[in-house]
Amino acid sequence: MHAYANPTRFLAIARPLTRWLLGVGLLLVLAGAWAGLTQVPGDYKQGETARILYVHVPAAWLGMGGWTSLALAGLIQMVWRHPLSGIAARAIAVPGMLFTALCLATGSIWGKPTWGTWWEWDGRMTSMLVLLFLYAGFIALTNGDEGQRQGGSLSRGAAIYALVGAINIPIINRSVVWWNSLHQGPSITLRGSSIDNALLWPLGLTLLGFSLLFGAIVLMRMRRIIADNRVAARLRRLADDEGN
Amino acid sequence: MTGVISGSGQWAYVAAAYGLTVLLTGAVLWSSWRAMVKAERRSDALRRDQS
Repeated sequence: MHAYANPTRFLAIARPLTRWLLGVGLLLVLAGAWAGLTQVPGDYKQGETARILYVHVPAAWLGMGGWTSLALAGLIQMVWRHPLSGIAARAIAVPGMLFTALCLATGSIWGKPTWGTWWEWDGRMTSMLVLLFLYAGFIALTNGDEGQRQGGSLSRGAAIYALVGAINIPIINRSVVWWNSLHQGPSITLRGSSIDNALLWPLGLTLLGFSLLFGAIVLMRMRRIIADNRVAARLRRLADDEGN
Repeated sequence: MTGVISGSGQWAYVAAAYGLTVLLTGAVLWSSWRAMVKAERRSDALRRDQS
């Protein structure tokens, strides 16, 4: 792991990987969405609206997975001071916030015809909204800070914020078990799925596809930060040379 | 089949959810790609100028 903390080594892998993740991710998302919209039957109770599942579940998975990765990056930054971990945390924040917002929006759109309401202040929806605010707080905390000007590393405060915010992830996951909720209970667990296979298979395609797209977005944003750092370093050297 | 949600209006909700997903994901993908290409071009140009 330490070997890949070097930006030059990282870029040698990230450059070809970005295109692969982007290409395969787009193909899988398109295939999954096509299958989810045209190849599977409507749900026996919810009818056609159940097809929202194929975008809502990946969005929820990536919103939560994004913060888990961000907290891990914060931990690595605090313990090993890897230069890339702070850059990774910064790169994860915007796509993580995007998918959390998409999860809330698609869930709300699904909720109106299914529950008769756009929004309910229950455990699942409220804890997911808290995650959105946590992302917004992290972006506000790290945008334009001293760490950004010095190569992208996270401040101790931002790394601790990321770790403390991770407490919300198991709360989101268990919210439908701990509290009464309009939201259904867990459909997919380690023991299996309560969703029939006839409806389940496109979800595998969109889950994997959106995850690859998320990875591509993170790599693109990391590459942008590294390129900006190199420009800043060269400009500083130029200014120093002219000063001497 | 009591309680089944039916009617052609259901597709409007499905279209809204998919449309929003395409729009927002596409916007972040596009802006991240453009920012990366622009930053890497700037970095490469500066390196060439210095060498």
